[in-house]
Amino acid sequence: MTDPAVAVRGLTKLFPIPFRREKVVALRDLSLRVEAGEVYGLLGPNGSGKSTTLKIILGLVSPTTGRTEIFGRESSLVESREAVGFLPENPYFPKYLTGRETLCFFGKLCGIRGSWLQKRVDELLDLVDLTNAQDRRLGTYSKGMLQRIGLAQALIHEPRLVVLDEPTAGVDPAGSRQIRDLIVNLQQNGITVLLSSHLLSQVQEVCDRIGILAKGVLVREGRLEDLTAVTNQTEFIVANASPQLTGEIESVINKSGAQLIERRQSTTTLERIFLEATQNEDAGKSTTESK
Amino acid sequence: MLPASPTVLRHSLAAPKLREGGCFGIPSMPHRTFSPARVFAIAGNTFTDLTRQRVFYVVLIFALVLIGSSVFLAQLSFQQEFQILKDVSLGAISIFSSLLAIVATARLIPQEIEDHTVYTILAKPVPRFEYLLGKLAGVLVLIALSTAIMGAMFFALIYWREHVVLEETARQLSNGQREQLDQALRSVRDSAFNADILPGIAIIYIKACLLAALTLFVSTFATTNIFTIVVMVFVYFIGHLQATAREYWLQENGAGLIARVFLAMVALIFPDLQAFNLVDQIVAGVAVPVALFAKTALLGIFYTTIYTLLAIFVFYGKEL
Repeated sequence: MTDPAVAVRGLTKLFPIPFRREKVVALRDLSLRVEAGEVYGLLGPNGSGKSTTLKIILGLVSPTTGRTEIFGRESSLVESREAVGFLPENPYFPKYLTGRETLCFFGKLCGIRGSWLQKRVDELLDLVDLTNAQDRRLGTYSKGMLQRIGLAQALIHEPRLVVLDEPTAGVDPAGSRQIRDLIVNLQQNGITVLLSSHLLSQVQEVCDRIGILAKGVLVREGRLEDLTAVTNQTEFIVANASPQLTGEIESVINKSGAQLIERRQSTTTLERIFLEATQNEDAGKSTTESK
Repeated sequence: MLPASPTVLRHSLAAPKLREGGCFGIPSMPHRTFSPARVFAIAGNTFTDLTRQRVFYVVLIFALVLIGSSVFLAQLSFQQEFQILKDVSLGAISIFSSLLAIVATARLIPQEIEDHTVYTILAKPVPRFEYLLGKLAGVLVLIALSTAIMGAMFFALIYWREHVVLEETARQLSNGQREQLDQALRSVRDSAFNADILPGIAIIYIKACLLAALTLFVSTFATTNIFTIVVMVFVYFIGHLQATAREYWLQENGAGLIARVFLAMVALIFPDLQAFNLVDQIVAGVAVPVALFAKTALLGIFYTTIYTLLAIFVFYGKEL
């Protein structure tokens, strides 16, 4: 049997309060398992323990009780991090470094050298669509570009597991979409993704399984379709239906004894409108500039 | 799940060839418990980061201005001029290298935790002790560079003044006897540069290294830069005064066991910084014995090592 990408068993974390006897319970008896190759979303409101869980998994914080493993290796061992890439929430990278220099620095930390490093940096800059900005200092990067260079540094040593803490926080819809597409891409390439977020719609788009944390306790966990399915309801989305056809459908439903709960005009998402509008605007600009 | 948008995602990862050890294409290397290359990478990054800080240039400019101005402080005999030049310059190098060690090191750890940079580094297969060693090495290179710049300025100044005084002396005694002239010129040369200045500057550098290591230790449990700097300012002054206080205490109260243990504890927490002051001897023209230099250097290296180990010990238990 293969080891799960992440195994957390009976994890409890208490933070002491200075000059007081009581302690803050950040996590209480948390157990979860992320299988290799899946995208697992850890959801929860602010302060629910998502970041603490990720930090314990990465060995940055030690648990009060419990055990965490990455591909069968104890998280506290430095070697376990060979298989992990991490993008923290709102990461800061030295502004004076260029995108390429940043990736080279993190590559060296992972023991990658010479032509392998340059080749890998080229691949990642291409992957995150920053090849044209590789020689610009990070001080000139937008928030979305910084998140993408952060994602690239997390992937520099070709990890089997990528941990993302609020990867789209503060990023505009277009940048957010790019990051979600990259997550899908990672999964298609067999890389396990563990991400935390409180942006539910985004998690719903990319995750296979989710766990919901509330006050340090895992209150729900399961496959996304199982958790979101409403078993006694069915949806039809019909294009070009005439009023006569919709009337007939309604009458069939009524005759059968089923209940029509809602009939409404389909709408698109605000995000889709935004993306289409801004992409058209960009295309228009580049056409004008090229003239 | 929505499919990846083809308009945005134009690139894909290279087809993965999963191998044991977790790498797809990069040659897999066994994890090394200690990798000098990782320490060098962190040290290089830290050094570059520090040289981008304005505080480095401000401190350096102040030091160079002070060293330069020492020329105008003495207008008496050439012996006094060279004494004051050495006194002020070596004093300035000592104070400013210590100040730089404290200010540059104090911000390293709290700033990286605040910026989340420490997470991206320690989430890689980098042991915490390598991270701290890299950080400290970056600061030590910075202090070495600034000490070298200040030392070069000092040597240039003393070389220039020596030539001016030699020319003046030669002109004044041009009609005198040859032996008298040679003696006067030798006297000028002896007053100007002597080889003991170099070990003196080396000890100043070692003292700055000690302070950097101690600052690093304090910063591992401090939450802000200001706290670290305030603590270190106290340590700096107590460190310079404690030897005198200890001698006074022992004279007044004798040396019982409890007193000795207490004084040893104080000496460990507050290093005897006065022991690293060889400037007075150098200025007075007294040769620094090799044994004294070696003893002082070893003491500095010992303190630096102890504080670095303590910093590593505390940092391993730190919740990031």
